[in-house]
Amino acid sequence: MINLEKPEQARSDGRTANQLRPMVCSRGLLERAHGSARWQQDNTIIMAAVYGPKPVSGKKENPERATLEVLWKTKSGIAGNTEKEAEVTIRRTLEYIVLSSMHPNTGISIVFQVVNDDGAILACAMNAACAALVDAGIPLNGLIVAVSVGVSTHGVVVVDPTKVEEKNFRAHVCLVFPNRPKCAVAGLPAPVGGEPAEHGIISCVTRGAMSVDEYMTCLERGRAASVKITSLIRNSLEHCQLLQVVGVEFGAVAGSPVPGEAFFAIAVLLGP
Amino acid sequence: MEVKESVQTGSVSPLVLQIVAPGDIVLDLSKAGKVVRLGGGLRQDGESVVVTRAGRLRHMQANNKYWVEGLQKRYVPSIEEGVIGVVADRRFESYSVDIGAPSNAILPILAFEGATRRNAPNLQPGAAVYARVVRAHRDVQPELSCMDVSNKSSGFGPLKNGYIFECSTGLARSLLSKPTCPVLEALGKRLSYEIAVGLNGRVWVNAQEPSTVVAVSNAILTSEFLTPGQQHIMVSKVLERMQ
Repeated sequence: MINLEKPEQARSDGRTANQLRPMVCSRGLLERAHGSARWQQDNTIIMAAVYGPKPVSGKKENPERATLEVLWKTKSGIAGNTEKEAEVTIRRTLEYIVLSSMHPNTGISIVFQVVNDDGAILACAMNAACAALVDAGIPLNGLIVAVSVGVSTHGVVVVDPTKVEEKNFRAHVCLVFPNRPKCAVAGLPAPVGGEPAEHGIISCVTRGAMSVDEYMTCLERGRAASVKITSLIRNSLEHCQLLQVVGVEFGAVAGSPVPGEAFFAIAVLLGP
Repeated sequence: MEVKESVQTGSVSPLVLQIVAPGDIVLDLSKAGKVVRLGGGLRQDGESVVVTRAGRLRHMQANNKYWVEGLQKRYVPSIEEGVIGVVADRRFESYSVDIGAPSNAILPILAFEGATRRNAPNLQPGAAVYARVVRAHRDVQPELSCMDVSNKSSGFGPLKNGYIFECSTGLARSLLSKPTCPVLEALGKRLSYEIAVGLNGRVWVNAQEPSTVVAVSNAILTSEFLTPGQQHIMVSKVLERMQ
């Protein structure tokens, strides 16, 4: 709940510190891409399209593995250093989950189009990319969940900051965790160093400065939020696959431009 | 929602017929007992079987085979699958054929029924062929053949005339399923047409009248997300409009 006695904890959009924005994940929207996804967190919207595995030539061709290529298209203007950095971060993160040795001598392109940026854009891009790779059927060794967490000037840790909050905050961090898989075997995935495997960090991009304690709090809040996002990813995938395999009334996706496109939205409140 | 945990007790995975995502662990090989065969979308990681592609986990009791049925657009060749290819280039002893896979496939000039050095079909770039994948490995180009194992054509060969359209690999698979796909059955009752379905998501349709070809292709493309009942209604509407 919003603590009225501590006005510095209140957020401009009325959310509590642990509350995520409503999220929507839609898959398979683009006709020509091999896989695509749109990830929305309220006003932050990003589209990801995956092309491949496709033939590549020259320097990019690797006889051992598939080459990943990430392109970031801004909403307007030309791509600068921030976009270049995002491309590299995303590529390195996705290289961790893509089983690139399954398709040697080929290339996989991932193209992002920012529809609107209202904070947490990198986390949204990671989630969109993961959904698009799944939609394209690229072999993966697991899924990822990305969460953005910020630290305000008063030292309050807040999940899923908006653009304005990111600007005013002392620091914010984009955390990428492995997704907890469904498991039919007891005791798997094996815990690492006494902690569950999904507590590992795949990527962490920090902006600004924060203390170690604040970082640990961010990590804890990020993990709690990632559980909710994981279930959204699962639900949206099952919904999308069920829709396509069993076939449902078109009315269920009324207003959607493409049949088979699946919408799934949640608004989440993580405990006090 | 918590991810429901269902732990394997018998030799069969409890996730069979469920939707699985990459990274899901479906089977413990030490408990599975007899030989387990893994199809597309699964890989072995030590003692466990891990999913690599999203879709529905399927299991065939007869030969204890597991595979994942997804709806990908991109085709990855697999041995013994029938595909529709377009000749891209002609080389000295083979054709280079585009089958929608990461690289072009090779179709040897002599891989046709009764073909000899002197008498082999002469295909031009752009010609369509229905062929069988005889070699599929990630490190080499896929190889095709227009003959079955006993060197008979059995339906494979150049596709003359007709119309080719692309669909998802999932739709192609459902068109080939047994019992016959409801949309093809309903269309076949009223119209006469020829069809060849490639598992690479290409469908070739031919008929006497161009209007039949158009109706059949449209009906097939619309059928992807419909239930069998809806498919029958849709086909009867398409046929009504034709008259």
